[in-house]
Amino acid sequence: MRILRLVLRRLSLSIPCLGIILAVLFFLLQLAPGDAVDALIGQMGTSDDTLSKLLRSYYGLDGSVVAQFTGYLGRLVTLDLGLSVAYGTPVLALILERLPVTVVLMVTSMAMAFTAGCVVGVIAARYVHRWPDTIISVLGMLVYSMPSFWFGLMAIVLFAVTLGWLPAGGISDLRAGHTGLALMLDMAKHLVMPALTLGLIFFAVYLRVMRTAMLEVMTLDFMRTARAKGLQERAVLFRHALRNALLPMVTIAGLQASSMLGGAVVVESVFSLPGLGRLAQEAVVQRDLNMLLGITVMSSVLVIVVNLVIDIIYAKLDPRIDVGA
Amino acid sequence: MTDLHVTRRAALVAGAGLAFNGAPLHAQDAPRRGGTVTVQVATDPRFLMPALRGNFSITNLAAKVVEPLVDLGEDGQPQGRLATSWDSTPDGLAITFRLRDGVKWHDGKPFTAADVQFSAMEMWRRVQNYGTIVFRNLVAVDTPDPLTAIFRFSKPMPLRLMLHAGTELSYVAPRHLYEGTDFFANPVNMAPIGTGPFRFVNYTAGQHVIVERNPDYWDAGKPYLDRIITRFIADPAGAAAAVESGAVDMSIFSSLPRTDLVRLSREARFRVSQKGNEANSIGNTLCFNHRKPELQDVRVRRAFAHAIDVNFYVRSFLLGLGKRGLGLQPSFSEFFFPGLTDYPFDARKAEALLDEAGFRRGQGGIRMTLRMTSTNGDDAVRFATFVQQSLARVGVRITITTYDSAGYLANVMRDWNFDLTGETIGFRNDPQISTTVFLRSGQPRGVPWSNQWGWESPAMDALIDAAAEAVDPDRRRALYRDLGEMVMQELPMWLAIEQVYTSVTAVKLRNDHNNPRWTGSHWSDLWIAA
Amino acid sequence: MRALRRYASSSAALIGLVLLLMVIGMAVSAGWLFPDDPLSLAGAPLTPPFTEEGLPLGTDSVGRDIAAQIFHGARVSLLVGVVATGIAIGIGILVGAVSGYFGGATDAALMRLTEAFQTVPSFILLLMLVVIFGSEVTTLALVIGAVSWTAPARLTRAEFLTLRSRDFVQSCRTLGMPHARIIFLEILPSALPPVIVYVSVVMALAILQESALAFLGLSDPNIASWGNLIGDGRRVLRSAWYVAALPGLAIIVTVLAISLVGQGVNDLLNPRLGRR
Repeated sequence: MRILRLVLRRLSLSIPCLGIILAVLFFLLQLAPGDAVDALIGQMGTSDDTLSKLLRSYYGLDGSVVAQFTGYLGRLVTLDLGLSVAYGTPVLALILERLPVTVVLMVTSMAMAFTAGCVVGVIAARYVHRWPDTIISVLGMLVYSMPSFWFGLMAIVLFAVTLGWLPAGGISDLRAGHTGLALMLDMAKHLVMPALTLGLIFFAVYLRVMRTAMLEVMTLDFMRTARAKGLQERAVLFRHALRNALLPMVTIAGLQASSMLGGAVVVESVFSLPGLGRLAQEAVVQRDLNMLLGITVMSSVLVIVVNLVIDIIYAKLDPRIDVGA
Repeated sequence: MTDLHVTRRAALVAGAGLAFNGAPLHAQDAPRRGGTVTVQVATDPRFLMPALRGNFSITNLAAKVVEPLVDLGEDGQPQGRLATSWDSTPDGLAITFRLRDGVKWHDGKPFTAADVQFSAMEMWRRVQNYGTIVFRNLVAVDTPDPLTAIFRFSKPMPLRLMLHAGTELSYVAPRHLYEGTDFFANPVNMAPIGTGPFRFVNYTAGQHVIVERNPDYWDAGKPYLDRIITRFIADPAGAAAAVESGAVDMSIFSSLPRTDLVRLSREARFRVSQKGNEANSIGNTLCFNHRKPELQDVRVRRAFAHAIDVNFYVRSFLLGLGKRGLGLQPSFSEFFFPGLTDYPFDARKAEALLDEAGFRRGQGGIRMTLRMTSTNGDDAVRFATFVQQSLARVGVRITITTYDSAGYLANVMRDWNFDLTGETIGFRNDPQISTTVFLRSGQPRGVPWSNQWGWESPAMDALIDAAAEAVDPDRRRALYRDLGEMVMQELPMWLAIEQVYTSVTAVKLRNDHNNPRWTGSHWSDLWIAA
Repeated sequence: MRALRRYASSSAALIGLVLLLMVIGMAVSAGWLFPDDPLSLAGAPLTPPFTEEGLPLGTDSVGRDIAAQIFHGARVSLLVGVVATGIAIGIGILVGAVSGYFGGATDAALMRLTEAFQTVPSFILLLMLVVIFGSEVTTLALVIGAVSWTAPARLTRAEFLTLRSRDFVQSCRTLGMPHARIIFLEILPSALPPVIVYVSVVMALAILQESALAFLGLSDPNIASWGNLIGDGRRVLRSAWYVAALPGLAIIVTVLAISLVGQGVNDLLNPRLGRR
């Protein structure tokens, strides 16, 4: 019941938000020089007057902007995301084709960053102001300062070019024609560097948050009580402090869901991955309004779902918080 | 003729000091059947039906599945694919194609003249880009029997133009799958059904296209390969990694960084060559907005040409993979004419011409400030930067504005919002297909890659029109020579550089790059040596 | 003075300051050390670092001096960083202050807007804005600022929410002081410290975003920027990795310096929390 209330509340907040986003993006992209048919012709190499007109009317780009927008909203209600001009196929199919790569990439990198951030953050807090803490802090700072695409490129130079351990890009080795488990393993191999690259930015953030949270929690009364009760240091750390310190971590993870998709644009470009991020970039370049809006709807849904999950985790971690209120 | 050009190219390559591994091997031993070839290209054309859209990046993929009436043979001359022979009436108003017998579509239906008629009348003439220009005067296609198609024109159509345009534009689509449908929404566009040596298997947007052997191909015994996988890898460094690691067997259309092309050319595992791409070359041009008073003076345009050291650019920026341009067509073309007026690099002469035109160096040594508009592609920006640097030395300040392709088209072609642009022209075997449209006046505003420069010359228009309808090959050639000279005199635009695409091929492949537009050809004779 | 001494007592903050001054020094001295256009040709393409006199860091794929580009690029990065941050903090404070001060429907509306902006990946929004408004360097700085205001807005709002019920605010209201005056002159000064700390984060992100845009080929081609250089280096990664590596290091140093200084300022303003 509580969860249901939570879901409903989230949705009631999210729908107006989604409306704002769609309207802003729709009218913004109208300001861009050239439209989807220009981009299409750019790729075709040439065109003439009649052909351009034909294409514009075919893709519904000859009506007024307002009519186009209301038409779009009308179709959206029936979950129809429309046709992509660049691909000539339904947007939904294109997105669903690309979604898995991005979701796997995001989940893997987030999991990696979260776990590593927790562990290293705890260690830093445990040895606060001593040399392991210093080293970790410096490392975290360095990682945070690194442009992700640069890290990706350097990883390619090292692991793919020099050492030859990992593939430089793509999602699988098509020629090998792997199936089943072998295909999964092959894809996993292709995802190691991208996930690492994307995760790195967030690792630095988690690390800092975790360290601070741990430090704050460790000074709290109940910790002192726990210690006074003669509980083992490690037990205190894990059972009490960690649990409480996880709360801000989870909050941050929710906030970062959307910036991760932005990060995916660059990472997918570096590693030639066929994901949503690159599709979004293409949509902008191609002025493919339906595709851009479709991706936005999808990513908003993704962000909303992630935040919902986080609310639920929150509720589990700290029963005192009434998230439904 | 081909030999002559090969020699010239060899000299060019040798002169640039690149260790190219020479021409592909055409092994004498018997072809081996089987195997998969993986090819890398940079762009996903997002469309796979060349009958509806004329584009290199589409034919590179789809010409294995869908076939044209004619292609180019090893000698660079037209060679029948779906057509077996052709001839033209002396007045050039009718061109007859005899079609190949016993050809079947991949779905089992027979191929007939009705397919050709439908493709020509409904697709090429009406909605195929380039086709709408070349087949503008096509009034009917008669089909007296299932294996004959007679193309009737309202104005004379030179046979050469028809055949050479045909290699890029005469792809035949299955009438029974398109008739009565909405062409742009037809699923066959993305899953083509043709008559070619390979059948379409799968297209995954942004990733790959897979085609497999057509066992019922009309050329019995071919193709040799089982499968062709074409992967889209846009990042040049990523593509280089794929080639080097052996993940792909071939990279076409200059998709690797030039430094990598040069480096790989020294490795025994690869052949790095421009052979097989000659008919698909491109040119970097400097186009002027003739509405701009400063640029109306021909001395200014000539000064710009003198100020830019093209040979240096080719050597240092293109690493020798290119050549100084002249006239309107690349040196491979039979419409290339050596000895036209030219403007060799001479900065002092450029300054003198600018002085003479009344643009003296003013404050800060600057004569004038112009805006150069460019697409944001690597090559275009590099060329724009070089123009900027070169003109700065003679006192002309250039600011570069870049747009993506939609923004470029809107700004340059529709809004005429530019002073200079570095336009890339793709050559398509005949000046009438995509070149003269850059110079002919009277183009409607907004038509991309046409004369949006504000250039108007009745004398030039007359030459262009005469050549377009000149049925006699010699006369046609003479007219294009005159046009080339007039262009070099007046410089409405300047073809600074010609570039032929470069392919990297694993040495185990045989029969690759054996015609001048091989990448966009059928590949039915390609095989892998053990 | 005491604050300065306290700042200097942290070695990390001190190192940050030194690094930042170094980067500023590069930007200032660029015109003097490398008076020529950094985009002009200086030597043979892909000259490796430390091999030729006059070209200490070698040349890029078309023969432009890498050292000159890195020095001149410092100007671009700092310019983009400062301008974008100014805009982001400005919009953020305005939205956050109005939202937190008035509360109610105003707050709800502004927060929906903020959420909307946070739901769209800001980098995708940035790509759109660059396509629309062009990639001239000042435009870049403006649009990067325009997509980075949400976090400062939320911070400011949170501060205002706690401060607006304080006695001094209440008394201002009873005195009939105009809202703008209460917001900017009475509450803002007390609300500012956490926002100021956040400046370093915004600036670091702005610099990273400019470089990412340049990497995708969307930066200003008329200027030498670190991102442009990395984008160029990407093409020659397999034969000359240093072209991409060197400007990357410059970015790291700059962002690191800004973060360290930000941390130092943070410690100064919030001594209770200790080092973060």
